[in-house]
Amino acid sequence: MKKRLYSIVFMFVLTFVFAAVVSAVKVHNEERIQINQQVKLQRVILKVLGVPVDEKAPNRVVIQAFERRVKAIEVKQQTLYVGYGEGGKQITGYAFPVGGAGFWGPVYGMVSVDPEASRIMGIAFYRHSETPGLGARITETWFTQQFAGLPIFPVEGDKKIFFLKPAGPGKGPNELDAITGATGTSRAVEAFVNRDLDRFLREMWKQVKKG
Amino acid sequence: MPKPLSSSQIFLQGLWNDNPVLRQILGICSTLAVTNLLVNTLVMNAGLIFTVGMSSLTVSILRNYTPMKIRMMAQTLIIASYVIIVDIAIAAYLPDISEALGPYVGLIITNCIVMGRCEAFAMKNRPWASFLDGLAMSLGYGAVLLIIAVIREPLGFGTLLGYRVMPEGFTPWTIMIMAPGAFFTLGLFVWFLRAKFPQTAEEKKQGH
Repeated sequence: MKKRLYSIVFMFVLTFVFAAVVSAVKVHNEERIQINQQVKLQRVILKVLGVPVDEKAPNRVVIQAFERRVKAIEVKQQTLYVGYGEGGKQITGYAFPVGGAGFWGPVYGMVSVDPEASRIMGIAFYRHSETPGLGARITETWFTQQFAGLPIFPVEGDKKIFFLKPAGPGKGPNELDAITGATGTSRAVEAFVNRDLDRFLREMWKQVKKG
Repeated sequence: MPKPLSSSQIFLQGLWNDNPVLRQILGICSTLAVTNLLVNTLVMNAGLIFTVGMSSLTVSILRNYTPMKIRMMAQTLIIASYVIIVDIAIAAYLPDISEALGPYVGLIITNCIVMGRCEAFAMKNRPWASFLDGLAMSLGYGAVLLIIAVIREPLGFGTLLGYRVMPEGFTPWTIMIMAPGAFFTLGLFVWFLRAKFPQTAEEKKQGH
């Protein structure tokens, strides 16, 4: 009986001590982790809106640039990031999140469109669990660069704004290179980016135009 | 009671004679997962060295007070605490790498090497020796991972630590990026070393 009680007390004390230490470490670093995540998102938004920020720039610089050039507004319960020019008056574009199921797990990205919402300015994917060297190449410049200047319009039925086709010549204006060896990821990206662009035009953009 | 091992003996065991990956074939899951990029491997190694060293030390300090029946529970708690600390530290100071390693830092908890050393060594030895044993074993693990990463990253990406090392026009071997590439690399590596330096009677008998 005494032995059993000792075991319980031992485990209780041990758990208490270690839980306290871990909690202290967590609380001490919480703010830093949150800022890291926030700055990461801000970097992506600045990038797709075409605001030049050095990749190695410290967090402080990114936060400053973001505050000067970007304003987040709520449209239909979704966040829309409005990009402003150097002077802070002229609207240079709008950015909004896109995302969906990838091949292995969820993919999160950010798209920006020009002030008339007629063309894509930039796209970036910032969180995913695709295979390095294959599906993960959605983050590479050659892939995302293809989207720049792509005209967008609301689509009917099962039509699409753009297609990802096997790399090669002879492409239509709305056909982009898919990633060789990552058909699953390419299809997934094609599906959710098309869906989210269409949704943006139908829901958020209508609201923005109304003012 | 056998004579306690000297520090150099402990290190020789961890790095070579009893190397967890080469000889005991432990910790294979993470070996396959994090060796496609050298930088991920380095961070994983640092995390594991800290975890095994500190867990062995703590388990050893508490060994005379820990009731035998609940020792595994206590070890798991100790190991998990150190792993969470590593996870938080990486997320706070190396956010990009934290993203790249994904769940694998948390999965150090399930790395057999950690609990294996607690059970096999730290429960029977003094704190300092246990700490050294933890370091030696995780360094032995790390050394093998580094070798595999140095083979996989250039072949799979054409780079090493992100710098281009393969000539222009080199076609990356996609398989080296994925887990099967690590299986082949590790398998060939273990085969080569065991054939070259046989240790067990069976390995010697095969006439190498």
